[in-house]
Amino acid sequence: MAVITLPYKYLERLTRTDRKTILDKVAFIGSDVERIEEDHADVEFFPDRPDLFSPEGVARAMRGYLGIETGLPVYSVKPSGISLTIDPKLADIRPVLGAAVIRGVDFDDESIMSIMSLQESLHWAVGRGRSKVAIGIHDLDTVTQPFHYIASPRSRKFIPLDYTEGMTMDEILEKHPKGRDYAKIVKDFTLFPLIVDSHDHVLSFPPIINGERTRVTIDTKNILLDTTGTDQRAVSVAVNIICTAMAEAGASIESVEIGGVQTPTLAPVERIVSVQECSRLLGIDLTPATMASLLEKMRFGARPSGDDRVNVQVPCYRADIMHDWDLFEDVAIAYGYDKIQDLPPDTFTVGKPHPVQVRAALVREAFCGLGYLEVMPFTLTSGDVLYKKMQRMDCPGALHVMHPISIENTVVRTDLLPLLLEFLTMNRHRELPQRLFTVGDVVNSCLTYQQAAGVSTHRDADFSEAYASADAVLHELSLGYTVKESADPAFIDGRRGDIIVAGKKAGVFGEIHPAVLNAFDLDHSVAAFEIDLRSVWGSAGIQDIP
Amino acid sequence: MAELTQNEKRLLATLEKEKKADAPHLAGLLDATPEAVVQWAHLAQDRGLATVERVVAKEFAYTGEGKVYLKEGLPETQLLEKIGPGTTLADIQKLESFRIGFGQLRKKGLVKVEGTSIVKTTGASTEAYEYALKNPSATDTATTDIVKRGLLSEVETVRYIIWITPEGLASVQEGLDLRKETGTLTREQIISGEWKDLNLRKYDVTKLPKKAYPGKVHPYQRIIAEMREILLEMGFEELYGGIVQQSFWNFDALFQPQDHPAREMQDTFYLRETLPLPEGYEKVKAMHISGGNTSSTGWGGVWKEEKAEQCVLRTHTTSVSIQHLANNPNPPIKAFCIGRVYRRETIDTTHLAEFEQLEGVVMDEGVTFGNLLGILREFYHRMGFTGVRFKPSYYPYTEPSLDAEVYVEGLGWIEMGGAGVFREEVTAPLGINYPVLAWGLGVSRIAMLRLGLKDLRYLHQSDIAFLRETPILRITKDGV
Repeated sequence: MAVITLPYKYLERLTRTDRKTILDKVAFIGSDVERIEEDHADVEFFPDRPDLFSPEGVARAMRGYLGIETGLPVYSVKPSGISLTIDPKLADIRPVLGAAVIRGVDFDDESIMSIMSLQESLHWAVGRGRSKVAIGIHDLDTVTQPFHYIASPRSRKFIPLDYTEGMTMDEILEKHPKGRDYAKIVKDFTLFPLIVDSHDHVLSFPPIINGERTRVTIDTKNILLDTTGTDQRAVSVAVNIICTAMAEAGASIESVEIGGVQTPTLAPVERIVSVQECSRLLGIDLTPATMASLLEKMRFGARPSGDDRVNVQVPCYRADIMHDWDLFEDVAIAYGYDKIQDLPPDTFTVGKPHPVQVRAALVREAFCGLGYLEVMPFTLTSGDVLYKKMQRMDCPGALHVMHPISIENTVVRTDLLPLLLEFLTMNRHRELPQRLFTVGDVVNSCLTYQQAAGVSTHRDADFSEAYASADAVLHELSLGYTVKESADPAFIDGRRGDIIVAGKKAGVFGEIHPAVLNAFDLDHSVAAFEIDLRSVWGSAGIQDIP
Repeated sequence: MAELTQNEKRLLATLEKEKKADAPHLAGLLDATPEAVVQWAHLAQDRGLATVERVVAKEFAYTGEGKVYLKEGLPETQLLEKIGPGTTLADIQKLESFRIGFGQLRKKGLVKVEGTSIVKTTGASTEAYEYALKNPSATDTATTDIVKRGLLSEVETVRYIIWITPEGLASVQEGLDLRKETGTLTREQIISGEWKDLNLRKYDVTKLPKKAYPGKVHPYQRIIAEMREILLEMGFEELYGGIVQQSFWNFDALFQPQDHPAREMQDTFYLRETLPLPEGYEKVKAMHISGGNTSSTGWGGVWKEEKAEQCVLRTHTTSVSIQHLANNPNPPIKAFCIGRVYRRETIDTTHLAEFEQLEGVVMDEGVTFGNLLGILREFYHRMGFTGVRFKPSYYPYTEPSLDAEVYVEGLGWIEMGGAGVFREEVTAPLGINYPVLAWGLGVSRIAMLRLGLKDLRYLHQSDIAFLRETPILRITKDGV
């Protein structure tokens, strides 16, 4: 999430209204006000609206929403006469280049901060951490055109930003803080992207670092913007958002020539949308005229056209408008969510519980009747708990997450019983007897299904209690079963039984082995059992749903 | 105050005749131990029916040495008898009584040493001490001396004197049921009808009971069940699905671009396992790349099959509901799913790597965004939240999107969940041709509010005492 700092004075000047009016309404265009400070507010905007990641962009949107200035903002672009070339060798490295000239910049502390933080927010939201898009801003008056975007040997030396000595590009990746942060994007290429001027002065080593030579200061008047990346659309969006924000701040924008094409144009994109489709989606009655005026409030150009059409001009900075419905959401926002009539649909359907949950509720009833207390352990656990402490063999179908957060959360549980024993450990200091059960999902070989398990611990917990409780639960679940001597090493030999249903093992019960009790740090004997609920009547066919 | 016990009644009846007596005497009459009689008397005293006086008396017992002297006389007495005119120290030094007796005589000033002679002082006598030894008395200084010398030991004896008060007499005269009391009724007493003649003991019902702990459903499960009930009442069908999902159903089918940050390994638990892509996946692929046959532009860029095949621990239950819709594209559908979902978060008091999510979907011809707001308002009202409001939000697979907030006294507006209409980019490639209203909420957030928990982990690593103490019926206000 992008949290944007909005200095009140700057915001008020740009929006042409007072801070209170702005802050009262800014949440209604889609944001969360995080902090209100003496001289600024921090507001969080959603990642689909990078055009709001600057005070200039917020002011532009708020002028529309508050009715101060509605409709499409028009940005004029003159050719700068500056050109850039792209080295074909970059095709497999970082092929896309966008650029623009921004003249007549009048920086103060706030506006220079605003452009730097916009650049960083765009790197995050549009640039995917600079891999998809990286932006460089240069003092145009320190270099001479034409500029060349080239694939350079890694041994090329230049002075990176914040340094006084020249370094090779390999050294930059190793030593410069930005080099270390972003090395992974380029390190596998034999040649590195580089932007140089007609005298071979380095402007930038995208996406890593600019040269010190073109550093932007408070005295900078003219800017060259470079934007490189792997995706044309994302690069264009970044250029458009920065250029229009700078234009809002008072600068003028000029295009450059890249491969014979003048760019950027900052021209809107046209979409013709259906009023009926919008009314149907939102559940409000709209005419072409009202819909157009709502869209104008959201800074679109909009012209009613016939009975059911609105011609919409989407400003170049609105990267999120991919589909007509994206415009309809803006109509809803302009209309006001609080004004939309909120009635449930009259769709008639009958409620239907899922058999797995119905069965789980029956299992709960049986256990509670026996005095067992339900617990709900985590599903992520470790092999240590599931197998090692239980003296059981590792389960071949157990799923191991690839990047666990800690050694306690590496495996998705394949059994419930070990987690109940862990629970008894956590509650060692509590009054006995303790009888606990759980019913829930386990996963084996990507297949999710339910088990139930119960434990009872007190001075006299023994095999016959385990047998009696298991028998009671199985009986309540109408499970006809037979018992076979078990070989489960978690239990004491001669005091353990496998539950057999229809010829298949469906569970186990008995008295927990003292070595297991020691491993779980338990002092009293434990009578325990677990049941695979797939063996319960009516379960066939309800487990294999993805 | 509870009824008189049978024993109190018997005691009072006896005291009516005796008026005042000590405990051993009464014990004899009542065929009980004196201790029991004192206990009953105290109960009667608490009711103002009797008075108990505790009398402490000092008695003396002879030590082994004391017993010898009682027979033979004190050593100083024996020695004094041997001293006459002209007796020298040497004369008496050999005597057995000398060792203790001489010291005592000197200490008491009964003899003097004059040169080598031992001389009795005038009127020298040990009589007072001999008397004290035979008749010890707590007020006598000679006795105190003898006790100090370890010839006698002091023993405190406590006696209880019990007498009846006028109130006690009155209650006896009103008449007391003196029949034997019965505690637990036996089977024989019930069957034979003997119970009719029994005097059933009355218990003090104001005393705290012994604690019993019933088997119970987990309070968190109870909240889940309540939400389930509400949705079933509202006509929704319940869904259940696997914890392990293919990235395709968890992300791609929901139009999450393959380079979306939420798909990165620092946010999602990936597994090594892969599953083959479902039939018709190409339509989803085309939607990502170019927007398919809709008014969408798609995300552009590349779409890799290998990324979609990889399994993850589901990051939302939407992966379950979207498959249900894909398998049942004919309206109407109203379905919900409550299940555990996984996010690769560092676990602390407010973040868990796994938590329950509730997800609801409605698909029907002509359902609107306004209907979605209506469903949410209804659902939250039924959960007990009276104040509900909506504001714009963003989710990659819904448009328009919203966040629902509920009002909680003392906390203000709290964000409760997100919702929206599934994008056409989601529904079209799966052959779903009607609008789908969808919403989700974190169940644990409501549980934390309701159960007053400060630490989310407590839901899953619970203290048994907390589970035992949390009542089944909770009194809620404003949904909390």
